[in-house]
Amino acid sequence: MTRIPSSIARFSFAVRPSVVRLALAGILFIPTLAWSQVPQPQADVAEDLPGNSDVTAVIDGGGMAQLRLAFPSITVRTGTAADATAAIGAFETALREDLEASGVFEIQGPEDLAVLALTGVQATDFELYRSLTNQSVLVAEAYQEEDKFVVEGRLYDLASQQSILGKRYRGTFDLSRRVAHTFSDEIILYFTGARGIALTSIAFNSDRTGHKEIYLMDYDGENIRPLTGHNSISMSPAWAPTGDNIAYVSFFAGAPGIYRVDLATGAKQPIVTDGNLNSSPDFSADGRKIAFTRSIDGNTEIFVADRDGSNLRQVTRSAGIDTNPAFSPNGTKLAFTSSRAGNPHIYIMDVEGTNLQRVTFEGTYNDGADWSPDGTRIVYATRRGNAFDIAVTDLALLDTKVLTTGMPGSHESPTWSPDGRRIAFSTTANSKSQIRVMTLDTGEVKTLASEGNNMSPDWSPYPPR
Amino acid sequence: MIRNGMIALTSLVLLTGAVACKPKPKTAAAPVIQSVEPTPTEIAPPPTPTIEEDEQAWMNEELARVTAEANARGLLGDIFFDFDRFELSADARERLAKNARFMMDAPQFVLTIEGHCDERGTNDYNLALGERRASAARDYLVSLGVSANRLRTISYGEERPFCNGSTESCWSQNRRGHFMVSSRTTDG
Repeated sequence: MTRIPSSIARFSFAVRPSVVRLALAGILFIPTLAWSQVPQPQADVAEDLPGNSDVTAVIDGGGMAQLRLAFPSITVRTGTAADATAAIGAFETALREDLEASGVFEIQGPEDLAVLALTGVQATDFELYRSLTNQSVLVAEAYQEEDKFVVEGRLYDLASQQSILGKRYRGTFDLSRRVAHTFSDEIILYFTGARGIALTSIAFNSDRTGHKEIYLMDYDGENIRPLTGHNSISMSPAWAPTGDNIAYVSFFAGAPGIYRVDLATGAKQPIVTDGNLNSSPDFSADGRKIAFTRSIDGNTEIFVADRDGSNLRQVTRSAGIDTNPAFSPNGTKLAFTSSRAGNPHIYIMDVEGTNLQRVTFEGTYNDGADWSPDGTRIVYATRRGNAFDIAVTDLALLDTKVLTTGMPGSHESPTWSPDGRRIAFSTTANSKSQIRVMTLDTGEVKTLASEGNNMSPDWSPYPPR
Repeated sequence: MIRNGMIALTSLVLLTGAVACKPKPKTAAAPVIQSVEPTPTEIAPPPTPTIEEDEQAWMNEELARVTAEANARGLLGDIFFDFDRFELSADARERLAKNARFMMDAPQFVLTIEGHCDERGTNDYNLALGERRASAARDYLVSLGVSANRLRTISYGEERPFCNGSTESCWSQNRRGHFMVSSRTTDG
């Protein structure tokens, strides 16, 4: 499996001074933040638990180094009812999946740790965890408070035996996975300096009802819900960077047009629907502009408009096909596909249409560029015989790596996760299309949605915090 | 009760701790507080758009019969394209000449030309490619004398394959321009 340089590897793993600095025991209780505008589901409380940040470096970042983490079973206090226990179990499962999927850790779970004769004395047990080459341990205790479950999780550095991160979460039983995602993101942030992505989502299209519609799912493929019900062809979802609405293409009015769905209300509204063809929307990072493909008398060109579809400006003029624009993260450039040189290749230009530069030269068909969050690379589909692979090109070096070499099927529509550490794409094999996520550090690939054909993933931005 | 007492105690402890540990966070490593932000889990599908009826109108039986009868006479047949190409082959031009003759003989009809692609290539690119295929057919019909305002085009890209399968035989059938009598001219 091809691996590309880990973003983690570039980050020094030295543990930095942390907020969690309180050396004394006790629980800091902070009132619930107001989420009055979004009443459902019920909000949770999270608190920092006392810890100690005076910890020596854990890992010297380099290559594929992973943090070696012991994660024994969560202790459930006696007196916890069955439904609360089930919620805590779901929390633990999701947290283990999140941490495992992050690629940041090499985790020893209860089965790995079963060889140890634990004593119940923390100092002794920490030495035992350490004897299995673990560098940190995640210790969590959970209990019930009326109709909610509470989890207190603490991370310890095993060399110093000091607490380096402590959190308490409380939530209704239905929020167990969400609480796990939240805690996982905090742990990832602590160790890598970048937020985890367990609270992000992926928009995609699926034909599971017999018509292509737009859907949303959590980053791990859970919690799938429909966004459209046009009973037509709806495709090409594109997140607004504000995370509260998604643009998409639909044929329900006849000609393909660009619409927007508000995620809070489900309300739809047209963005650009006049003319013969409007497709492939993409928002600028500030959310103020939208780039898309528009047909001028049968020839498709790239246009940029304000986010509501006003102030249309044509930014390409070529006899070839121009399509699939993607704003750079800093909003100054557009990557797009053009057949102006005979075959589809990826080009980059300023948003005004100036300073055109071709960036793919290999093969005869490259399409569907998505920028890495740091703007240094693009990922796209590249043709290999009758199938496509996912490739990454470094824009400074114009150096290309294929990520899906040897993976059966045809792979397209790549989209970067907001932390830049994963790529979601769709794979068509045996006449079935599924969405997959590759963790770039490890090359590990996971298949997400499975019902019907699922394609065209677009990864959400980070949710607001 | 116990908890309230504990809160008071811990607040005190916190205060002491905060004073004792003067250095405050320098980085964003561990935020002070988090709340799980809820997102709506259910989004109601919208009512079925009424515009759907327009699409049905294209299918209306009478016009479909006109198309079928033309097909039976060897007219309004599909034209086919090479992979990733929208140029018209000699065969396609021959077909289009027949289709043009039908349109000249039946001035009361409006023709919709659908551009289709095989499943290879990306969905977005294929929408653009289908648009080019449909408009290449339209432009040729116009060059043969058919009035442009009696011709409509729509690209379905790879979204509506004629043949389902991943073989060259299927792909070649799916790279096509498809012709359907879609309405009557208002003046015809």
